[in-house]
Amino acid sequence: MQKKTRKRKTKKISKRSGRRSAVVRSKNNNGVGLHTIRWWHVLLGLFVVFAGYCVYLDFVVRDQFEGKRWALPAQVYARPLELYAGLAMRQNDLERELNMLHYRYAYPPASPGSFQRDGSNYDIVTRPFAFWDTSEPTRHIHVTFTGDVVSRVSGDNGQAVALVRFDPVLIGGIYPARKEDRILVQLKEVPQELIKVLIAVEDRKFYSHHGVDPRAIARAMLANLRAGATVQGGSTLTQQLVKNFFLSNKRTLWRKFNEVIMALLLETHYSKDEILESYINEVYLGQDGPRAIHGFGLASQFYFNKPISDLDLNQICTLVAMIRGPSYYNPDRHPKRLRARRDHILDLLVEQKIIGARLASEVKASAIKVVTNRHLATSSHPAFMELVNRQLRQFYHQEDLTSEGLKIFTTLDPLIQDDVETAVRQRTTQLDRQRHLHGDLQAAAIVASVTSGEIKALVSDANPLFAGFNRALDATRQIGSLMKPVVYLSALAEKDKYNWLTTIDDSSITLKGADGSTWSPKNYDHESHGEVPLITALSHSYNQATVRLGMQVGFPAINDTLHRLGVSRDLPAYPAMILGASEMTPMEVLQMYQTMAANGFRSPLRAIREVLGSNGQPLRHYPIQVQQAFNSNLMQVLDSGLAQVVEQGTARSLRARLAPNITVAGKTGTTDDTRDSWFAGFDAAHVVVVWMGTDDNKPTGLSGSSGALPLWGDIYKKMVPVTLAFENSDELAVHWVDLKSRLLTDAECQNAVQLAFLPGTAPTETINCTTGIRSKIENTVNWLKGLFQ
Amino acid sequence: MVSPRHIIVVICSLFPIACTTTRPPALEVPSEPASKIITPAPTTSPAVVDLLNQARAATQQGQLQRAEVLLERTVRIEPRNPTLWNYLAKLRLHQGRLQEAMGLAAKSNALSSSTDDKLKADNWRIIAHARYQQGDMAGARKAQLKADALLNK
Repeated sequence: MQKKTRKRKTKKISKRSGRRSAVVRSKNNNGVGLHTIRWWHVLLGLFVVFAGYCVYLDFVVRDQFEGKRWALPAQVYARPLELYAGLAMRQNDLERELNMLHYRYAYPPASPGSFQRDGSNYDIVTRPFAFWDTSEPTRHIHVTFTGDVVSRVSGDNGQAVALVRFDPVLIGGIYPARKEDRILVQLKEVPQELIKVLIAVEDRKFYSHHGVDPRAIARAMLANLRAGATVQGGSTLTQQLVKNFFLSNKRTLWRKFNEVIMALLLETHYSKDEILESYINEVYLGQDGPRAIHGFGLASQFYFNKPISDLDLNQICTLVAMIRGPSYYNPDRHPKRLRARRDHILDLLVEQKIIGARLASEVKASAIKVVTNRHLATSSHPAFMELVNRQLRQFYHQEDLTSEGLKIFTTLDPLIQDDVETAVRQRTTQLDRQRHLHGDLQAAAIVASVTSGEIKALVSDANPLFAGFNRALDATRQIGSLMKPVVYLSALAEKDKYNWLTTIDDSSITLKGADGSTWSPKNYDHESHGEVPLITALSHSYNQATVRLGMQVGFPAINDTLHRLGVSRDLPAYPAMILGASEMTPMEVLQMYQTMAANGFRSPLRAIREVLGSNGQPLRHYPIQVQQAFNSNLMQVLDSGLAQVVEQGTARSLRARLAPNITVAGKTGTTDDTRDSWFAGFDAAHVVVVWMGTDDNKPTGLSGSSGALPLWGDIYKKMVPVTLAFENSDELAVHWVDLKSRLLTDAECQNAVQLAFLPGTAPTETINCTTGIRSKIENTVNWLKGLFQ
Repeated sequence: MVSPRHIIVVICSLFPIACTTTRPPALEVPSEPASKIITPAPTTSPAVVDLLNQARAATQQGQLQRAEVLLERTVRIEPRNPTLWNYLAKLRLHQGRLQEAMGLAAKSNALSSSTDDKLKADNWRIIAHARYQQGDMAGARKAQLKADALLNK
């Protein structure tokens, strides 16, 4: 907005000045004759024009300098890590997080952004950071792990610290078409060394001249005459700033004239510190594809992966060396040139007695190490960024996002995201090779928090760094058996008619459509299993039984359940819909399973927590919302059944990969001819949806169990598990049951499964198992007794 | 917008410890039994207690949205602690976000143990208030009766 008004103002001024010159011309034509003009009239006239022009330049200089100086892309952050005693976290994950934040090893850590680790003990000096609710100061903390739990966090004085929030990992920016990017820094953040080197090299008399340094110009002209070419520039920092700020790149005398006037004007209005700070933020220091790297703040991140305050002398000299020509002194293409220029700068510093000769030769001996793979580092997590962008667009114009310097705080967990990316890449490569798919196998995976609906990780391509078609958000695919829980939930809601032990006929079934066509769905194993309890039909994903159940429950009830689970699209009322012939995106599936995982409390899936303005002022909060869509006990009944899918059903291969005390629930999904392979599953903390297939809908040979499930397992293995637990209460009965007799039994009995029932729906009779381990042990005890008597 | 009266109500109902001498002004819901103090369980982690203290200070200064962000942090740390969902529900009620308040109160109820009648009653009262403000008189009465029954148990 501000920007627009300014542009308009500038236009008006130029119109007005145009009109003024027209008036002068008309006077010349109609009024006074040329012969009456005396020389001082000419001088006066020229002076008036010159003064008017200076006033105009003055306006331009002040307007831009005082208003918003730069269009700032929005900065997008991951969730900040909150550390406290009792937090479940892998010991290495803290180090990974610190590395993502570019904290450096130091012995001992003293300045913000440094740490050391000794096994289970960390010693960290955190960086300060301003959040929506509080500004976190820098803190020196000691963190101790016991196993996979933070057992103690204490301050420098040894006292326990309740909670530490780290600065968040910066995961990207939202750029305009002309991608000028920068990280604004304040002069106080800039190391004194950098200022000294900059002034020594670019403008020795910066603090004493008034914007222009005639002696430097003369010196440069002399040098250029001697060399017969332009070898030295006499521009002050102020002139360079003016040039970048207001003027074109053309080398004309007129531009030079403007540059000098504007430099003088700038110096009369603003302090040296203000000018220097602007220079440090404006200077062009390189290119990253279409993105222009401006300012030392971003350059130090871009080339050295560290904040400006952490630069060492070698790095400072390297950056200052690049001012002359970031492309000519490009560290990748012309490392020798750059090194020579850096060494020349070091000589200058010795000459001006800013550093000693020994230090200079020490630095000269060290290599210039810039970060490799910089391009990838700046555009990581493209699929998640797209989701953020879409959710922002509901409230913001693209122009605000690319120019207002907004700070976007997202829900991304960079550790989980990193793990999901690795898992997707490895597993798709392996399966693609195994099934001879020639690189066509694609995947999407999303992780969300069960209770808040926050998206923790999102990948939408077998190569997660590739920003193309966003399969997680946009690929609508048949969901196959992922639909089955919707059918069973609709049935279980009729508690007088159905519970997990109610039987259903799994014999073959043929349905007639309205047009007379027939449909005979088959089971995956092409066999019928007779009368089976609902739990068996769900956990083994029997199609024939499920279609029969779905027809009994009816389409309206199934559609209603689907909507309450959070799917807004209406599914057509035809039998194949019961087996998931309808298409959905992975994101829609995630919403469904989030509601199931959260005991019936639906939360809109969010990628954003807060948006702050450029000055840190709170702008928009995206709140945690929960809406009760189902009775929570009914949903626990369903979840206990979905846990059986993993315990003994189609996902039982996952069981072996889980710790014995961990229960997770989920459902496999496979569509006709293995075109889609799905697994959606959850524990008490996270819900994860995985899809695999090809973009042109080719059969992959991968079922839900052989494709998506192993990838799901890879992802889950890296997370800290939080087991599902089904507990007895007044409104929920949790029992071990024997599936054969459909009666209560003991946990130790063979074929005993744990299921939840709504009150009054569980069997009351108990069957004694003789093959169970308990009876065996009891017999053994008797035998022991016998031995001693 | 938020009136000073609202803020006092929030402070007193969110963190009753801070207001032991001032009685919360009665809200326009009939036949309401005396308020019972909802305090976090002793098992609540120091990290959460620390955030709750900050949230209390924020509400005392009238910074309801800041308090909201702080309470959301507590919920992320202890997502199964029903008291925290109850606080968040109450805050949203006072912000006039009725639908959200009811969802959060129901969540708190679903997480609370079957013996925690005091907390459950408080949640039902939040639901009663929200329904009342929405103009759902019958629903409000029903919820209020549930609250009363739990308190008189």
